[in-house]
Amino acid sequence: MQIRKAVITAASQAQRHLPLQTLVDRDGKQKVALCVIIEEALSAGVGEIAIITCPGDEAAYMAAVKGYSARLQCITQPAPLGYGFGLYCARNFVAGDPFLHLVSDHLYTSSLHRDGHLVTCAQQLIEVAQTEDCSVSAVQATRENKLPYYGVIGGRRVPGQSNLYSVENVIEKPTPTEAEQNLVVPGLRAGYYLSFFGMHVLMPSVMTILEQYVTRAGTRGGIQLSPALAQLATAERYLAFEVHGRRYDIGVHYGLLNAQLALALSGHDRDEVLAQLVELLSTSE
Amino acid sequence: MRQSPDELPLEMTMSQLIDIITSPDPSLRNRSLDAWCRTASVSELLAECAALETFRRQRDNLYERVRALFFLYAIHRFHLPEKPGMPARGLVPFEGYTHLLNRRFEEAIDVFLAAQAADGPTDAISSALAAAYHSLGFQTLANQVRRSVRSVHGNQWMFRMGHPADHPLRVRPELLHPHGELTDLTLQSDTTHGDYLAFPILRERTPVRMDLSHSGWSDIFFLGMDFPEGARVLNVSIDLAVVGRDTSPKPPVEAYLRVIDEPVLKLASVDLGASAVISDLAEVFDFAKDYLGLLKAAVIAAGIVPPGIEGSGQSLAHLLEMVVGPGLGLEIVSSVNNIPKGSRLAVSTSLLGSLISVCMRATGQAKSLTGPLQEHERRLVAARAILGEWLGGSGGGWQDSGGLWPGMKLIQGELAIEGDPEYGISRGRLLPSHRILTDTDAPPEVRRKLQDSLVLVHGGMAQNVGPILEMVTEKYLLRSEAEWQGRQQAIHILDEIVAALRMPASDHDNPVRAIGAATTRNFAGPIQTIIPWTTNLYTETLIDQAHTTFRDKFWGFWMLGGMSGGGMGFMFAPEVKHDAQAGLLDIMSSSKRELEHALPFAMEPVVYDFAINQNGTYADLLAGDEALLPAGYYAMNVPQLLRRDQRQLSRVQRDELDRFATACRTRPELNGMVQILFDRLLPRTHAVGDGDRILFDLLDESGFDHTQHEHIRDELRTGRIGLAQNRLPTNASIQDVSPDDVTDVTFTSHPEWRDAGMQALANGEVAVVSLAAGSGSRWTQGAGVVKALHTFSKLGGRHRSFIEVHLAKSRRVGTLYGTPIPHLITTSYLTHRPIEDTLKAKENYGYQGPLYLSPGRAIGLRMVPTVRDLRFAWEEMPQQILDEQAQKVRESLHHALIDWARKTGEASDYSDNVPLQCLHPVGHWYEIPNLFRNGVLQELLQVRPQVKTLLLHNIDTLGATVDDALLGQHLLSGAALTYEVITRRIEDRGGGLARVDGRLRLVEGLAMPHEEDEFRLSYYNSMTTWIDVDKLLAAFGLKRGDLSDQDKVLASIRTLAARMPTYITLKDVKKRWGQGQEDVYPVVQYEKLWGDMTSLPEVNSRFVVVPRMRGQQLKDQAQLDGWLRDGSAAYVESLCQWA
Repeated sequence: MQIRKAVITAASQAQRHLPLQTLVDRDGKQKVALCVIIEEALSAGVGEIAIITCPGDEAAYMAAVKGYSARLQCITQPAPLGYGFGLYCARNFVAGDPFLHLVSDHLYTSSLHRDGHLVTCAQQLIEVAQTEDCSVSAVQATRENKLPYYGVIGGRRVPGQSNLYSVENVIEKPTPTEAEQNLVVPGLRAGYYLSFFGMHVLMPSVMTILEQYVTRAGTRGGIQLSPALAQLATAERYLAFEVHGRRYDIGVHYGLLNAQLALALSGHDRDEVLAQLVELLSTSE
Repeated sequence: MRQSPDELPLEMTMSQLIDIITSPDPSLRNRSLDAWCRTASVSELLAECAALETFRRQRDNLYERVRALFFLYAIHRFHLPEKPGMPARGLVPFEGYTHLLNRRFEEAIDVFLAAQAADGPTDAISSALAAAYHSLGFQTLANQVRRSVRSVHGNQWMFRMGHPADHPLRVRPELLHPHGELTDLTLQSDTTHGDYLAFPILRERTPVRMDLSHSGWSDIFFLGMDFPEGARVLNVSIDLAVVGRDTSPKPPVEAYLRVIDEPVLKLASVDLGASAVISDLAEVFDFAKDYLGLLKAAVIAAGIVPPGIEGSGQSLAHLLEMVVGPGLGLEIVSSVNNIPKGSRLAVSTSLLGSLISVCMRATGQAKSLTGPLQEHERRLVAARAILGEWLGGSGGGWQDSGGLWPGMKLIQGELAIEGDPEYGISRGRLLPSHRILTDTDAPPEVRRKLQDSLVLVHGGMAQNVGPILEMVTEKYLLRSEAEWQGRQQAIHILDEIVAALRMPASDHDNPVRAIGAATTRNFAGPIQTIIPWTTNLYTETLIDQAHTTFRDKFWGFWMLGGMSGGGMGFMFAPEVKHDAQAGLLDIMSSSKRELEHALPFAMEPVVYDFAINQNGTYADLLAGDEALLPAGYYAMNVPQLLRRDQRQLSRVQRDELDRFATACRTRPELNGMVQILFDRLLPRTHAVGDGDRILFDLLDESGFDHTQHEHIRDELRTGRIGLAQNRLPTNASIQDVSPDDVTDVTFTSHPEWRDAGMQALANGEVAVVSLAAGSGSRWTQGAGVVKALHTFSKLGGRHRSFIEVHLAKSRRVGTLYGTPIPHLITTSYLTHRPIEDTLKAKENYGYQGPLYLSPGRAIGLRMVPTVRDLRFAWEEMPQQILDEQAQKVRESLHHALIDWARKTGEASDYSDNVPLQCLHPVGHWYEIPNLFRNGVLQELLQVRPQVKTLLLHNIDTLGATVDDALLGQHLLSGAALTYEVITRRIEDRGGGLARVDGRLRLVEGLAMPHEEDEFRLSYYNSMTTWIDVDKLLAAFGLKRGDLSDQDKVLASIRTLAARMPTYITLKDVKKRWGQGQEDVYPVVQYEKLWGDMTSLPEVNSRFVVVPRMRGQQLKDQAQLDGWLRDGSAAYVESLCQWA
């Protein structure tokens, strides 16, 4: 199985400007967040990328990432009917192929090196998906106090694998009560759950499931991806992979600052940034 | 997991009792302990105890440990003391007692066992071991239930969360929108000025549960967890209305929640008229500070303020910011529509469930904001309700949250399976399963017929069911033969009722008649076999009268819940139901009037209308003009808002006032609200009310000594008298007595004693004095009933009062010796009229001998205690430490009561209660001089001049009777006073026989310089005293002829009284209010006590050791079951001759 396509959803009404925020990447180059995300996808061998945008945002987005325009296409999400609907808008682009899906408000740092080279999070995920030949979502062990922000999976560790789980249940932003009843994963510390990393490799069958939701919801909206993934888990093999890396949600309070620091501290400007931070700490009251 | 016998150490493999515990064969496992012990010798029992002790320490299995503990308890409490050759006299090590008080039961057992090994087994040590094993058994069970509640999936996270920044719950956006829509409109309001739009109200309405049969209290957690097969309950969710007050039945329990524009938690209970604005996190965990403990427990158990954050020192505002939003808070309001307490319909658990449900919905912990809950959500709410009850220091059965489920359901225990937190620890799960009955299980017609026949009532009694639940657990574990058979019968009766519900209803064969027959049989048979105390004279009177009045139209009686007297059901033919409702109310009211001095009533009886609720708990969202809380809330809060400057009110508050005003004009249910608000705004000036006048009149009538009262107040305030000052000097020498100091008549008697006694009896030289002036504060926890009239037990086939028993003993002795015994009953302001009326109504219970009432001539007015005395009682005197959470609640209550004493005025008159609860008798020392003052002794001596001896005894010393040998011993000894003492058991607290600085005398527990002194004394004072009339008069400086000279009598009493110590004591009194609500206040009073006569050197006092059954007292109703089981009741019956 080859993953040649990626879909980036960037049509959230409240966060439409987030992907256009500027920051400095690991290599010390200034670029918008969307570029960093696109590069993450390209690093994994993806050839074509679709960005799902709000109507009217296409030009601004394409201008911001013009260096990659040959591989990009913008798809307009016609109505704010939910995150799941956003992804569903890419069904023609996907056209029956498995695809990498990234969200536009997360940035990633990887901690895995192989042969002296950094293996990005997207690379790690795609390798697993290709090996296992099924849908795989990247996940991260998350303390229960962060449950209100993420989709969370429940499942069991795949025998013989340290960071691969077969998914049995998916719930979007569960309460801790719900999580404790339905999402406990054996082997994890008490109060920790596997939450989505904002990165998935999905089989085209997910589009079929989303279509059912879209049909049922009509113009009411509220179409989410998590219920569709929960259904996917009941229908076919669906895994979760604990990535060697971290995600940074740039949409939360100080999220962009945090993500910037993480990128800087994992790149070649690390010493310079650290020195600046130390100076800042020593002079601040 | 059970070990096979060959894995057990040798001494355990030899144990037959361990075989009973470990056997997989039910016929062996369910063998009765009593049956085995009956034939065992002392040495066999002690060997079994040693084996059980080793066994219970080695086992992990909950059931095995607990059953072994209860076996050990029962052997030491009931079987060893009965065996011939078991020494009675012994001492209980104080160190062990201290461990017991501090709930260090294992350590206490170690100390007691060491004492037993060193000194040999005694009755005293066995009593201590029994107490320790009993407490350890229940502690083990409670700990297991608590662990299980905490480990229920969905509850665990709440114990981990310790900082607001980690709070994972968020209020649902609908509650932040004025119309309950999904968008958060607070963002659109002018939040910079804190000017929010109105918030909608989430309302949860919950039925209460009615229990058609509980298979012998099988809903007790431990029974369900150990015997899930037998734990079955038929439970019905019902709406209620009080006949004559409400128009139609509706879900009685309501919980409301809304967002407010202040970062605080507002709690209000409409029924209790209590509200609080909480801005401090610690206050949420302060359960007894006010009447809002249940609401606080719900907020915690629902996870809004999770239990893990207690004691973190974090800010409540920060927490609310995380959960609700910046600057916002929550308001939670409860209402049970004035359904009285003690209804046996689990109103408080239903309310807790309702509150938890509304809080969980509001924070997204239930899928749907409105409508019914899903099955897994109901189960979680039920589990949280158990947690909430534990947090609040209370607890009910597992069926009590049945109102969360709809309609009729069969609730049953479930075997624990792999994956359950209980697996490997107990046989069953903590939570049962609920099977909702379908239309096939209970056709709609049958449900309707049930409604058409059943009359639900609240009889007005409010009783503590706690001891009953403990008794049930204990008897279950011991598999006592009769009780175990009763349990099997109860299980069959439930099957019968389930079958009857399936019966097709027809005019000729109404299934409700079969149900009525089954519930009546259940009540009369298994229920009372397991726990005889579930019935009482009031209930039986009601049943008898229902039979008499309605004859074959009365189809049956139905005990609701834990015991009878409060909530009860009566089934009638449908055509008479309406008449029966009115008729039962009359019957209950008249029976209550007849018995209200004998039994504790908390309120006037009421009759309910009810309807089966098919929704279970159900929520709706009130938005816009509908966003109103219950009317009682506004009656409580609107006056406060109106008194404030309108400019200080927030927009939300102004809008709400506006909505409420509009509703008052348009909604019929709010008719009269204007008048209520007017009355609250302009309350009538307080005048001296009827209650105050009655109190003053009573004081004057009863010879209240104002000068002495002011003197005592002054002394209390200055600290010259008080609890600490009751004690003898710390350097006083308190020594146990030697065998020569007492005459032991337990096993020995002399023919000449009997001869002298028989002669005196035949001559009519003896009279009996029963002390009946007190209210028996411990007996009813300060309910203020007349203990002497309390129909406490069935004896000779009927419920009998203490007085009736004492008269029956005098009757028997009179018959035996051919001369009726004069019987004197001393009374007080509290007891005189009720006793007089009862004796008149009952024609002296058929007593033929002379019967006199000796009215009290001394009275005191209770006072508010000093903070110093409260602290002394609670902080310096040894106290029984409670279960961790209950102890927290108690400490919180103590703070509140200290605050009450300070605010009300230390040593001020206690007058904020009904007059009879404000007055107090001034101690039993006065009872005998009263006989001189009120002319009763003089009259007796005129009628029966040959009387030389009085037998004085407490009302609760049921074994005390005129015994010929004891009388002869007294006469031949030449003593003025012969006191009867008994060997001490651990529960016998309150002084004893000692050598005090070398003098042989009785010393009160209050006077012991050190707590441990009492534990060095072998004998306990039974208070029963043989009195030589002439020698007693001489002690007062009187002769028989002086009794007509009142001035001389009075002067002599004053002179001797001045030599008697005055003790300050704290007593609990109940103050009743609202719908069956009761508060208990500690008040201070003073007493002079009869035992101190032994300190007078000129009075020849002697002491005889009598058998325990003769000298023991019944101080607490929780003692009744043991009293019945250990043969004491049979002993008393053998002394009686009923009319």
